[in-house]
Amino acid sequence: MTTGAWHHLRNDAGARAAAAVLAAAAACAVLAPALAPYDPTIQPDPVALRLLAPSWQHPLGTDPFSRDVFSRMLHGARVSLGVAAGAMLLSVTLGTALGALAAVMGGWVDTAVASLVDVLIAMPRLLVVIALVATFGTLSPWWLVVLIGGSGWLTTARIVRAEFRDHLQREYVVAAVALGASRWRIIRRHLLPAVAPQIAITAALALAAVIPLEAALSFVGFGIQPPLPSWGNIILDGVDYLTSAWWMVVFPVGAVTITVGSALVLADRMRVAVGGEEHEP
Amino acid sequence: MARRLLRRFLHTAVICAVVATSVFVLMQFAPGDPFATALDGPDVPPSVRAEWRARYGLDLPPTERFVRWGIALARGQLGYAASRRQPVVDVVADALPRTLLLVGTALLLGFAAGVWIALLQTRHHRRWQDRVLGACTLVGVAVPEFLLALVAMTWLGARWHIFPVAGIGSLGDAAGWPLWERMIDLAWHLALPAGVLALAVASRVARHQRAALLGVMREDFIRTARAKGLGEWDVLRRHALPNAIGPVIALLGLALPSLVGGAVLVERIFGWPGMGQTLFDALLARDYPLVVAAVLVATLLAVVARTVTDAIANAVAPRRATGAM
Amino acid sequence: MSPLLAICGLSVDAAGARGTPSTPILRDISFGMRPGETVGLLGASGSGKTSLALAVLGLLPPALRAHGAIHFDGHEMLSASRGARRTLRGRRVAMVFQEPLSALNPRMRIGAQVAEVALAHGEHNTQRAARTALDMLARAGLTDAEDQARRLPHELSGGERQRVLLAMAMLLAPALLIADEPTSSLDVTVQAQVLALLRAEQRQHGMALLLVSHDLSVIATTCERTLVLHDGRLVEDVPTRQLIVAPEHPQARALVAAVRRGPPPLEHGT
Repeated sequence: MTTGAWHHLRNDAGARAAAAVLAAAAACAVLAPALAPYDPTIQPDPVALRLLAPSWQHPLGTDPFSRDVFSRMLHGARVSLGVAAGAMLLSVTLGTALGALAAVMGGWVDTAVASLVDVLIAMPRLLVVIALVATFGTLSPWWLVVLIGGSGWLTTARIVRAEFRDHLQREYVVAAVALGASRWRIIRRHLLPAVAPQIAITAALALAAVIPLEAALSFVGFGIQPPLPSWGNIILDGVDYLTSAWWMVVFPVGAVTITVGSALVLADRMRVAVGGEEHEP
Repeated sequence: MARRLLRRFLHTAVICAVVATSVFVLMQFAPGDPFATALDGPDVPPSVRAEWRARYGLDLPPTERFVRWGIALARGQLGYAASRRQPVVDVVADALPRTLLLVGTALLLGFAAGVWIALLQTRHHRRWQDRVLGACTLVGVAVPEFLLALVAMTWLGARWHIFPVAGIGSLGDAAGWPLWERMIDLAWHLALPAGVLALAVASRVARHQRAALLGVMREDFIRTARAKGLGEWDVLRRHALPNAIGPVIALLGLALPSLVGGAVLVERIFGWPGMGQTLFDALLARDYPLVVAAVLVATLLAVVARTVTDAIANAVAPRRATGAM
Repeated sequence: MSPLLAICGLSVDAAGARGTPSTPILRDISFGMRPGETVGLLGASGSGKTSLALAVLGLLPPALRAHGAIHFDGHEMLSASRGARRTLRGRRVAMVFQEPLSALNPRMRIGAQVAEVALAHGEHNTQRAARTALDMLARAGLTDAEDQARRLPHELSGGERQRVLLAMAMLLAPALLIADEPTSSLDVTVQAQVLALLRAEQRQHGMALLLVSHDLSVIATTCERTLVLHDGRLVEDVPTRQLIVAPEHPQARALVAAVRRGPPPLEHGT
């Protein structure tokens, strides 16, 4: 079934387009130092080169400090997507581990994890992260990864727990237990591969949730600190010049929207491929 | 139902305790206190500093302060907001109704619009209307609310002057206006922030509602409804929607915390003097009692709203025979 | 007498997904029905019975494509506009579905579901429609109709639900009633009652009945003429008596032999 889903996904134009966009964004992030025409932090001439409209020299214009927006966008992708990818990985790993633990151990462990999820899911994530960051003052990008990732494991844990519990009752797992397979072996050989598509879906959704979160944090000044560029703080730099220098806001907003949209489309298409949701009768 | 409510109530209590405790613990790690900027200068004699801190109990050991603070909180005493020179309760009483107005308006408008969009999409499933609306709702979900707010503020507010850029009412002379004029003024100021949030809600609702409707449209009773000679709109509205709306309401309840998070930023951008604005001011002023109160109120709001949506979703859930025929 | 229903060379295909060839469901079906006639449509599961019934109402799922011609009541159903087909459904041709629980809206009261048929066809007075629905439910043999009409489908028994579906189909006295396995989910005594009800209504209103079933014993007690469908083809179109005495097609023989051996186990679904 998983092979079928994979085949379906590979032939799905929407999924391919979304994956291509994400891959291109990742490539920009990785190759930023090679691709960027200017240094993203140097301010060559804050008087003469300030807020220049897009041109051949500066494809996306310059910012109020005369820095090249295109270069800052590329390096910003490195920071924003790096933080997002790290936070996504952290939250999905944490969620999978806790969800699996709850389902397999059962008993009080299960109750504890389920209640914790139930309690924490009611808390506005953005608010909590803002409050935490603001309390600590400004944080390094690594701490941002920890905070954003650490607050995002709930959804994955819920889904992994439900899926694991479902599979634990199926005959093939019961048969494996009857044959004397160890718990760890069952998780590794049977349960994780069976639930992998669902985890992939939550990973795509987690990415779609985390990119705007970083942008929001940086935009309110609690996230990535200047002069290090991120999509969020490029918007912050441009917000006072919105009416005159549209390029400062439109490009980073577009970048956030397109990457988040691609992650959402990918999650949608995966869901269709795996579960047949939205298939014609 | 009573047991569920009791459970939810206990959960809420636990959430509040957890939130309050963690915020308090964080406060201990955090640098500075409300008097840091005002009193920690070289020209302030240490005795004055000590006297002020003693007046607010800041000189006691952390454990004792925690116990006192916890007892006060349990009694509903939220403390004094030094940065506002007002009790925290008064600040919240001022700001909370404004946030409720904003979020409530956005929720109602967004939900209604989202359901309509989903009905239209299902009616024209896989035709251009479905695809265009689908693309719009995808963008609506992908654009963070605060970015949408910025764009709306810049063009509809600052550039074209259709709507006010910020605030909750016209300044100065507004106080003397008759009631209905003040109401219109309020609605006019509400339009942009509520509209932006409503767009975000509508996109999310529409995507979930469309999927739920398409699922229900495969059911046998839809075929029965068509066999009766009902038109496609009646089939959708009278038969598909009542059976598809429950899960969407439940999902909306789960998405509420993130909506509250978005509302905080939108409030800040539009200068809407609600809880979000209050939280930011409190954070910048390191006014911790106010921070605790703001985070607690936001959490409580999300929990209460979720309980309500759960109850509604439960009430409209399709009933099926469970036992033998 | 001119035929009420005339099907000529009807074929139905399931469109294949992405370039794969389409699968035929029905192949070159032709038959006719006179007003007031009772015809049985006999076939094993998967023989295409339900698709044939749905094609007459114009309710085939979008993935199925129909070719040929279906003349009903002066209209060509396959080429008629959506609106024209809609006004015929429920008023001139009605259908009873095989699984009464899933065929009823779980969130709508019984009375409202029946009254809706009248409201969809020109009745504007809600109270009058509710009245008609109540009368029909009582005629369909629902005891305590007034009280039952306020209930939701899951609060009724299987037999009661099937009576509700019948009431819905017969409310506007259609010229043709298609009953798709109307009794297969019911136990034997209720089966007999439901069939008796169908026959009584038919006599009273001169309604034509197309009874779709996999069970020859159901058809034999009700229908003058029987069509046998096998693998999407019409293999027999004979008086029922003749089918029982001397079935020609091997598949028809198998179905007849099955009845002679004794009643088949209750079967759900097609």
